[in-house]
Parts: sequence; structure tokens; C-alpha cells
Amino acid sequence: MKKFALAGNPNCGKTTLFNLLTGSTAYVGNWPGVTVDKREGTYKRGEEPVQIVDLPGIYSLSPYTPEEVVSRNFILDEKPDCVINIVDATNLERNLYLTTQIMEIDVPMIIALNMMDAVEKNGDKIDAKALEKKIGLPVVEISALRGHGVKELMDRALKAAKEGRKGETVLKDSSIAHLVRDVSIALKGQKVENPLFHAVKLSEMDELEAEAHAELIPMIDAFKATFADDTFGADLEAVVADARYKYISANYSSVFTKHKTEGDVLSKSDKADKVLTHKIWGIPIFLVILFAIFHLTFSEDFLFIGAWASLGDGLPTLEELGMDMDNAGVTLLACFYDGAVFSPGVIITNLWCWILDWVGVLLELITGGAAPWVGSFIVDGVWGGLSAVLGFLPQILVLFLFFSILEDTGYMARVAFILDRIFRKFGLSGRAFMPMIMGFGCSLPAMINTRTLADENERTATVRVIPFFSCGAKLPILTAVAGGICGICGLSNPDVITYSMYVLGVVVAILAVILMRSTTMRGEVPPFIMELPAYHAPLFKGLMIHLWDKTKHFVKKAFTIIFVSTIVIWFLSSFSWDWRFLLEEIEYEGEMIMVNMHMNESILGSLGMLIQPLFTPLGFGSQLGTTAGWVFAVAALTGLVAKENVIATFGTLAAAVAGSYIATEEGVLEVAAMIEATGITIPALISFIAFNMLTIPCFAACATARAELPKGKFKWTLLFWVCTSYIVSAMIYVIGSWWWTCFIFAAAIAAAVTGIFFWNKKHPLKPAIVGAAEEAVQTVEEEAAISDDEHKE
Amino acid sequence: MQWYEIVLIVAAALFVVGVIVWQIIRRKQGKGGCDCGCSNCSGSCSACQSKQKEEKK
Repeated sequence: MKKFALAGNPNCGKTTLFNLLTGSTAYVGNWPGVTVDKREGTYKRGEEPVQIVDLPGIYSLSPYTPEEVVSRNFILDEKPDCVINIVDATNLERNLYLTTQIMEIDVPMIIALNMMDAVEKNGDKIDAKALEKKIGLPVVEISALRGHGVKELMDRALKAAKEGRKGETVLKDSSIAHLVRDVSIALKGQKVENPLFHAVKLSEMDELEAEAHAELIPMIDAFKATFADDTFGADLEAVVADARYKYISANYSSVFTKHKTEGDVLSKSDKADKVLTHKIWGIPIFLVILFAIFHLTFSEDFLFIGAWASLGDGLPTLEELGMDMDNAGVTLLACFYDGAVFSPGVIITNLWCWILDWVGVLLELITGGAAPWVGSFIVDGVWGGLSAVLGFLPQILVLFLFFSILEDTGYMARVAFILDRIFRKFGLSGRAFMPMIMGFGCSLPAMINTRTLADENERTATVRVIPFFSCGAKLPILTAVAGGICGICGLSNPDVITYSMYVLGVVVAILAVILMRSTTMRGEVPPFIMELPAYHAPLFKGLMIHLWDKTKHFVKKAFTIIFVSTIVIWFLSSFSWDWRFLLEEIEYEGEMIMVNMHMNESILGSLGMLIQPLFTPLGFGSQLGTTAGWVFAVAALTGLVAKENVIATFGTLAAAVAGSYIATEEGVLEVAAMIEATGITIPALISFIAFNMLTIPCFAACATARAELPKGKFKWTLLFWVCTSYIVSAMIYVIGSWWWTCFIFAAAIAAAVTGIFFWNKKHPLKPAIVGAAEEAVQTVEEEAAISDDEHKE
Repeated sequence: MQWYEIVLIVAAALFVVGVIVWQIIRRKQGKGGCDCGCSNCSGSCSACQSKQKEEKK
């Protein structure tokens, strides 16, 4: 099977084309650096199947970043049958810089002029035929987003693959042409593959080439000794880059005709950027947008209509309106309104939970005639846990949809830009924001995306704080516990609590980064350069693919890991160590129900009570008594397998926990009722959320962190997560319970900050450039000393 | 004990063991390191695995 590689600049549409060709649903984002490693798929719609390899976006084939190394090694070592060079037609000249480098490799190549629809929309024109003639490579106009020109591209790529191609360079008439020719001849003599490409890179004194062909360095040094460019001196890398751009400008720029406008007219993107990336208003606008998203997703008082109405007589509940709450139609109506208008996210969740409740009723009917334990196991145990987790699926999807829209429009890339100003002060660049924002979806891809951060300390710090950005799996914990808090306080704004907890995660992440970058990971912040993508409306199909994939993954996880966990938790909570079955049948309001009156004697109960004291400083330990207080400790531990397990544990145990209360609610409400019944305080509940948000993430995230972090850093990272979550949660509980302790904590923090400040002042950081210069001076002095000694001898 | 109770116990036990074994097999095949769904991933499982192998070497 033939193998084609997709290569091009970041954010030029490679993954969009990859998805279109292979039918994959690989993650596409409207910001540079989404893809950090190659991925493969198969194109089956042509005359023969072709393997397609999507390479990470790169600006050059020099090995400065991991993405550049991956792409370069693939093209050179794996020898694809054809390289499809995707060129962003709206930025033609800059994109052709990479083209001129790939051209030097002996590989068939074709240029795909992508985003031609955007060029036409701007009123600009590109003469593709003229470009093809001038560059000597097949050029095909495409729009990967709309699917235009893809068939022609693949047909011509297949044709090019059959014909083969020898590398060519645009440096033929440059000032270093004869050096490239001489080195190329020498490499040919050594039977090196792709001699032209290696010759150019060696002339640039490329790190990898210099290592591989050290014997040719004297030839280059001899050339440098006699060479001096007016602008760049003997810096051959700069000379080569300048020669490429000059060639592109002189030969290819004529194919592009810009739409004539009078004066400097701002584009729509520029006008939007004037507001959204404003120096002062940029961050407040971002926070308002974020709050609006949370309000639309979680609010049980949409647009605060209920709060406004409460200034007068308030809005009546359905019961107050005289409706029969046992009527199925009324329960359906209650999904939209019940004393307050619900937000779209809550309405969808209520409708979904309404369906789940009916499934529960159906299961109860089916198991009605069976042995009592069967009903308890299926309805209360397994279905109780599963439905508690599945109930949050709509809100996860709505939140994820809003984040996807922000990302696809190109706004998230702007947020990285506006946050760079703040992040820089804390020791991170704005680039680190992109993996962090991915962390709101899932920590795993976010940790993998940190590969785009060049500085090792910045990367380690970012990987460590990514779990603090609450992922989709933690959302059920936030929502359920926020519901519990609202239940205890009689509030109707769980969205404000959820939003505050998300903000708490971000604040703790920033504080942790400041601490790391001021103590164990001191260093300069690397410069941040990122190309801002143009704003565009998100594609409905793309958004739906994202949502479908998220749903598939969530349901798959629910019916495997969570399902197994609910079975195990039910078993451990229903049997004692001496294999006694603890569930009993009792009569409650005329119905026979199964309850566990001896939960504390269960295997889970005894284990829970054993670890419960560990959480006493956090508010959900020994002080909750022995009735059901240990469920928080057990839930926090089961969350280490998968964070959804926290709520699944509550869901499974809620129906069985008896003695302190009898469960009369269903699904999510049952969890909130159980939380209330344990007698936990509000500071302890907030502390519980904070602990689960900040502690060791799920097993899968730990495995990824281990793979992504430098050797030896993982064990410290685990310790960091445990300590941070424990300290922050303890502070929340202690200050929330005894407000005056905030002065003690403030004094301790002030002392620590002062200590760090003075220590850093005593041990100033050596700037990298100064350090390097000092090293260079030292080396020269040493060499001079050796030379003097030799001379004396 | 009724026949369906025995079936339920055996099915539940098999399911628990099956999922655990399946997770172990996936991990051995190099697929278990990531369970967040490929469309959310900016890398790929094989990429993570090859990186781990390189580090071990």
C-alpha cells in the first residue's frame, strides 16, 4: 500500500484534510500546535487504498521543536511515496518557506493550496497554474473544510508518486550555492541518501547534520572564513533563510493578487480583536464569557428571573399552582419550570433524568417478582450508580459544546495571547494556556500537548497543574455536591458554585506555578510567538463529531469501568467480613423496601472507617460520625480509578444507606439527599470538591503524566498532587469553619513568601544568555592558556 | 436459591473479571495508556507507547 504524508505549517488544515481523506474524527482545533505526533489512517476512495500520515505542523525542517523532529524524521526515514504539502493560501509566501525545504528531499511532492474558499471570500486571487509552472510541482486548489478539490488532489498525488522525483533547491543562485554544491558532491560520494537536503542543512550548521557528518565541518569552516554577508555576516542559517524568502518573494509572489482596498481597511477579525484582545477589557470579557457558559449549562434560575421575581411575590411552584406532581405530564413540565425557569443545560439534563427515572421504574417492575436482593442489586446498586453518573452526560456535552465553539471560532488562541501578559509574570508563557484549556475536556490529551513547550521546567510545571483544570469526569462531582450545598442552604444557583470551583482550580494552578517557578523550577520564561488564526464560524458537522465522540467514550466508560465499580461497591457494602448478607426488607409507607441497617459492619464500611480519620482535617473524616460519614472517604479513593466513580459510589450507596434516613428520591436527587443526610457542613463539602479536583487524577492520567514527564519527576509529581489537595482542602475547611484562622494562614503564607523572596535574592538566577556568554569566555580563556603552554613548550 | 439468581451471580462475576482482563490485555497491547477517546487526543496511543519504549531503551 502506498504511503502519503501530510506536511505543512501549523493550523493550515492538515488534520481537517486527514479526517476528510480517512473518515477519521481526529481532534481539530483552530489554533496552531493541536497535533504533536503523527497519526495514520487509510484513504479508500481512490483507485487503490493509500495510507495517509498526518504530521505535526511545522515552520521548518530544522530540529528546534519535537514536532519538527517528528516530521523531518518521518519524511527522511520512512520514505513516503508522496508528500502532500498543505499550503495555507491566505498566507502563501510564509507557507512556501517550508515548501522550499521539502523540495530539497528526493521525494515525490504535491502542493495542496488549502483555504481557497477564504481567499475567494476576501476577494483575492491565486493563479495556481502559474505557481505550478514556476515551482515545478503539481499544485491543486482545495478547501479541506468544504471538501472541494480533494479527489483531484489524490489522483494527482498518485500520479506524482508513480513518477518519482529528485530534490531541487531554490538556493542555486544564492551566495552559498557553491558551498551547497560542494558538500552535496561530498555526501553523494559517501552514498548518503537525499544529499541535497543534507548539504543545505549541513551548510546551515544544523545540529543533527553536524553530528552525523562531522568530517565535513572543516569544509564549511573554510568557506565561512572567506565569507561575509553584508547583513548576516557568517551566520549561514540566517543567510539561507534570507535567500529562501528573497527567492519566494521574487518568483512566486506575482501569482497572488490582493483585493484592492482604499487605505488601511480593518478586516472583521481585526475589528473583533480590537475588543476581545483589549489590554484592559480582554480578561474581564473572557471571565464574563466563561460565566455565561456556566450559567447556560448549570443554572436553575435562568437569567436570574426567579431572583428578580422574588423581589415581588416570587414565581409559584407547580405544586402551588395546584398541579398533581404524581402525574407523568406534570413531571415532564417540571423539567422546564418549577418555581424558576431552568437554563438550557438543566432542561436537557432534567429531560434525560426523566427518561433514566422511567428506566429505573421499568427495572423495578421487571425485578418485582424476583428475590429481594436481586432488586436491590440491579435497581439500587448497579442502576443507582450508573444512572447517577449517566445523569450528568447532557451537562458535560453542553459544556463541551460551548468550549468547542470558543475553540473553533479562534477565540481560545486569543485568550492564550491575552493571558501571556499575566502568565509571564508567574513563570509560564501563554503557550502553556492551550494544554491547560484542553484540560477542561480531559487531562490526557492536555498532558500530551505540553510537548509543544520547549522549556523542560515550564513543561513539568504545566503537566503538574493540568489536573487542577477540572475535566469532564469531575463535572458530576461538582454538580452533585453543588446541588447538595444548594439543598442545605436553600439556594437555586448551583451554577455560581460550579463556576467558583472551576475558578478555584485555575487560581490554585496559578499559585502552584508561582511556587514551583520561584523555588524548585526557577528559570527564564521562553518567548511566546503564536500565529493568531482568523475567526470563523464553527462547522456544525465538526461540532457534532466532537460531541458524538465524547458521548461514545462516556457511555463506553460507564458500561465498563463504572459498571464494574458499582458491582464491586454493592458487593462490598452488602456483605460483612463473615459473609453475612446485610440487606433487610422493611416496610416503608406501605411498601416493602430493601435497606442496609448494618452498613458499618460491611466490608466497605469497615475499610471506610479505617481510612476516615485521614480526612478529619479536611472536614469529611471522623467528625461525620459512623452513620455514613465514611462514604466520602471511600468515594474519594474510588475516584482514583476514574473520577466518575465518586458519584457512582454515592449513587450505589445512597439507596442502601439507612438508619439516618430513608431514600425517597431517585438518581441525582438521591445523591444530593444522601449528602444532606450525612450531616456534613458546607465548608467540608467545598473541601471535598476541592480535594477531588486537586488530588491525584485518574489512573490513565497518571500513566500519561509518567510518560510525558522527564525521568525521576513522576514520584515528586504524585507527592505534589497529594500535598496540594490536602493543604488547600484543609485550609478551605478550617477557614470556612473558623473564619479567624485566616489570619494564622495569612501569617504563615507571608512568612513563606518572605523566606522565598530573600533566598532568591541571595541566590540570583543566571540569565541563560549571560551564562552561555560566561561559559564561552571561559572556554576561550582555557584554550588560550593551553595554546600559551604549547607555545612555551 | 432460584436458577436466575445463580445466573445473575455468575454473569456479574464474569463481567467484573472480563473487564479487568480486557483492561490488562489492552494495556499489554499498548492501548491502555489513554482512554479519553481519539478525537480529543492531540497525540495517539501508539505515539505514547513508542515514546515509553524509547525511554526504556
